[in-house]
Amino acid sequence: MLVVPHYAGSLGIIAPFMALALMDHSRTQPAVPARQGLDDLLKPLLGRAYGLALRLLRNRADAEDLVQEAALGACRGYATFQPGTNFKAWFFRILTNCYYARHRRQRHEGPPVEFDETPELYLYSQTAALGLHQPPGDPAQALLNRLDSEQIAAALLGLPEEYRVVSTLYFIEDFSYEQTAGILGIPVGTVRSRLHRARKILQKLLWRVAVERGLVPEAVKERA
Amino acid sequence: MTALDRYTCEEVFRRLNDYLDRELSPAEMAMVKEHLDTCGQCASEHAFEASVLQELKSKLRRIDLPQSLLDKVGAILAEARLPEEQ
Repeated sequence: MLVVPHYAGSLGIIAPFMALALMDHSRTQPAVPARQGLDDLLKPLLGRAYGLALRLLRNRADAEDLVQEAALGACRGYATFQPGTNFKAWFFRILTNCYYARHRRQRHEGPPVEFDETPELYLYSQTAALGLHQPPGDPAQALLNRLDSEQIAAALLGLPEEYRVVSTLYFIEDFSYEQTAGILGIPVGTVRSRLHRARKILQKLLWRVAVERGLVPEAVKERA
Repeated sequence: MTALDRYTCEEVFRRLNDYLDRELSPAEMAMVKEHLDTCGQCASEHAFEASVLQELKSKLRRIDLPQSLLDKVGAILAEARLPEEQ
């Protein structure tokens, strides 16, 4: 049986989630040794945790605050962490719950109408029209090499909230769909559908950023 | 694998995202791979999508952890240790 500790203040909102252990189905992270200290578990994750926070918030100070709040939550709830389960997923769940508690916007909003008709393989078609599919080159690289990290992050920020959080988790960390579902507290099927949809929309957003920055010629600006 | 067991282009396309994320069963992974090995168009689309994902992951992960944050979390952890050590 899991014990849910009492938390004061804003951390109260994340307490129920912290008590939910996540089973380790990771393909990349082994289960942790039972007696490993919190320092050893947490510190190696801070880079990726900060990366997730920064990509979600796009503000360094807010991102630092979010990671600190999550670290504090991890300290206070560490007694509820079950050795042998996935610490990284446990900590990222705390982090995303802190994010939702502090920065939640319109979580249930649907994607903008203009993205509803985003065709499959949007960038594939656009880069083909641009003449980038000439062997032996990599057309995806040829396009994305024109965009820097911040421009890509700006495109990611254009996703509707519920698509953006699952996508950011996906791009920052190699969680399985099942782990992502556990972190966000949503069904695996929802993770799958949001992620697939988000990728399609993101391709259009990336193309839009490339057009706005003048990185692709006017002639192939937009496909129907 | 017989012809009846093989995926069509459409069936592969429907599974492309899950294939890229290794979220299919081993049998499905094998059937998609078998198709990609023999269909140039699907292989081209798969290679493109895989490259997009790889590039996005690579660029979005390029973030340096600020020393200030490391210090602050270190202080939080040290404070959390104190009651145990006393």
